Amino acid sequence: MGNKILILSLLLTCVSCKAQNAPDGQLQPNVSYTLCNSNATAETQRLWAVLCTEYGKRAMSGVVANVDWNTRETENVYQWTGKYPALNVFDFINIHASKDVNKQGWLDYSDLTPVTDWYNAGGVVGCMWHWQVPANNGTNYTCSPGTEPGQTSFDPSKINDPSSNEYKRMIKDIDQVAGYLKKMQKRGIPVIWRPLHEASGNTTEFEGGGAWFWWGAKGPEAYKALWRFMYDRMVNYHKLNNLIWVWNSQIGDWDWYPGDDVVDVVGRDSYYALQYPLAKEYNELLSHYPNKLICLAECGNGDEVDMSLWSKIWNEGSRWSWFMTWYDYNYNNGTSDEHQFAGEAWWKDAFNSGTVIDREEMKKLLAQ
Amino acid sequence: MNRQNYIVAFLLCSLFLAPAQALERTILLGPKTIGKAWRDNIILEPRHFVDAHPGDILTVYNDKAKGIAQGAFQNPSNWQGIAPEYGYFGIAGPFRMTLTDDILRIARTHGIAIGGHDYRILRVTLTDAADFAETIVWKGSPVKMKNDWSSSAEIAGRCFEQLNIGDGLRLHISHVEPGAACKLMDFTWNALDPSVDGVPVGGDNYTWSVWSRAPLLKLQLVGYGAQTAMRIGGKGYRLDSIGIVKQIGEVSEDLTNAQRAPREYVLQPGELFHGEKYFAPDWSGNLSVNAAPFQECTLNDVLIISYRLDDAAVATGTKAQLSIRDARWHEITGAPEPIYYPLDGTDVVYMFDPVALDKVKTRGLIVTGVGFTLTKIEILSAQ
Repeated sequence: MGNKILILSLLLTCVSCKAQNAPDGQLQPNVSYTLCNSNATAETQRLWAVLCTEYGKRAMSGVVANVDWNTRETENVYQWTGKYPALNVFDFINIHASKDVNKQGWLDYSDLTPVTDWYNAGGVVGCMWHWQVPANNGTNYTCSPGTEPGQTSFDPSKINDPSSNEYKRMIKDIDQVAGYLKKMQKRGIPVIWRPLHEASGNTTEFEGGGAWFWWGAKGPEAYKALWRFMYDRMVNYHKLNNLIWVWNSQIGDWDWYPGDDVVDVVGRDSYYALQYPLAKEYNELLSHYPNKLICLAECGNGDEVDMSLWSKIWNEGSRWSWFMTWYDYNYNNGTSDEHQFAGEAWWKDAFNSGTVIDREEMKKLLAQ
Repeated sequence: MNRQNYIVAFLLCSLFLAPAQALERTILLGPKTIGKAWRDNIILEPRHFVDAHPGDILTVYNDKAKGIAQGAFQNPSNWQGIAPEYGYFGIAGPFRMTLTDDILRIARTHGIAIGGHDYRILRVTLTDAADFAETIVWKGSPVKMKNDWSSSAEIAGRCFEQLNIGDGLRLHISHVEPGAACKLMDFTWNALDPSVDGVPVGGDNYTWSVWSRAPLLKLQLVGYGAQTAMRIGGKGYRLDSIGIVKQIGEVSEDLTNAQRAPREYVLQPGELFHGEKYFAPDWSGNLSVNAAPFQECTLNDVLIISYRLDDAAVATGTKAQLSIRDARWHEITGAPEPIYYPLDGTDVVYMFDPVALDKVKTRGLIVTGVGFTLTKIEILSAQ
């Protein structure tokens, strides 16, 4: 291999990637996108390089699992369009019921088959975590903060108190999830990792708003401490170098941002996903986080409006690095004829727009 | 009278004295789309309930229900649930309501509104109570469902041997507290279908109608023996017994007295509203338009609001106001004080400025006002 080729190859796989095609519009990111973990694995760097190179040109398509540990939603997209989305995001929502820790469990996160099958087929792996803790009634698990029996008074600020039960619980859960992520790392699988999402809820949107997950219930300082603790525990203690860290921004929650050194991508979740407000929100995020990729971490039809077609979202000027549509349990169960969040017409438009990367294309991009 | 005449007379008397054949009668013929966000409803006219009796059953046949679809039976005079348990409930097939004295009192005066979101009404029927026969299949020790959802009753598979598609499983309940809810689960503790995952209950019974094979299969998985096939949980009520209800009457095809749903109007390109919406003198009327139809608006577009004046209100003033569709309903232009558009019978023509355009494209629009009937709102390009 000649020196020039070697240098080119190194440049392609380097951790720091220059945006080749900055998003259109008034704001143009003008900095290098750099992974915050300088020890990221080669596979993670490669995925990161592709994401950075494609940013502004095309968006990676994605779906979330049907609740937890499967690729069920990707089959819907394939049935509708003949193509698979590039990204499938698994959810650690039911780790308390995983067979490796619970004999009565109904799923097994320690069995990586759904993940490896997806990855080996060329798919990008994402993970998120609806982190359920024991509810106040002592029997259920929940993410919802509050004093009702079915809610939880779990206090995230106890991450600063190693003697507390909450601290021990958080350590135990983080370590359990880290174990699954470590297995992925050992198999060479990079993971787009989005924990502790939507933390501020609608706290900053209107008077009387609040957090809807316990990790946001004690305000931004407790939340940021928990994020940074998790980052440290996973990256420095567990040596997880296969993670691309995605932080979820809610409207106006600038005080909740954990910091440039522990966040790679800033995401937005929207179920009021109309093209105009989305473009405004994208530009707002870009102006606040100019050195981060911006993604549409969750999207779909909402209670009030149906999501705009992807082609319209793109034409309005927003340049999300990727999107992830939400699952419809009832549709997947056969008890609903119409997908609640993003159905056939939406996906056909997305793939026909020429601005979306499917699994086959992503496979080729990663192999280059 | 000879013997032959006696026989004829006897047969005629038998014919007239025999109980009338129970029938399921159609009282409303759709389709009527119940769209997103609780915007739509249809009112069953009071005349349908003049001869109805407590125990008669209203059935709403529907289609196009999304997984999140919810139904509601409401009192049209205040738009509250016609009984607490009918304020909202999940939909998995046709849904029913058993008429009570209280419900009939409202229905005979105001009618019954059917609302909710994300489904389409095809037909509404009224069936005599006598059309249904019930067999009690479980009467164990009553189970009190505590408010923390921790209690449940275990029902053996043999209780469901006679349960078929089209039947109802009636839970006889008592000691019902405000906010009572029921959850019907298979033996693995999963809800039998989304419509029974915490469904509000009230009165003295709740009937779950079986409209598909899927929940029956779940119940049959454990066989029809003594093993637990169903778990019934919830909160705020006591489960006393369970019966299987079968419809034994016939269905009438007579549509003579059926109410017809208004023809469904499809908005034309640019139209945001078409119909009749009354704005009373007390400012109680409003029309909400979400941001979706404004997405491609530009400063070259104008909003045309057409209306008919309420003659009785002309003397006291007729006017309209345009607000941002958010929690505060601020003036659409961003002005601190509301701007009123006096109405004289001619269309209101509103030209967007950049602030207002941004607001309608982001949030949407609320039209309020007094003394007129709104007939149309449309966006026209000025070019």
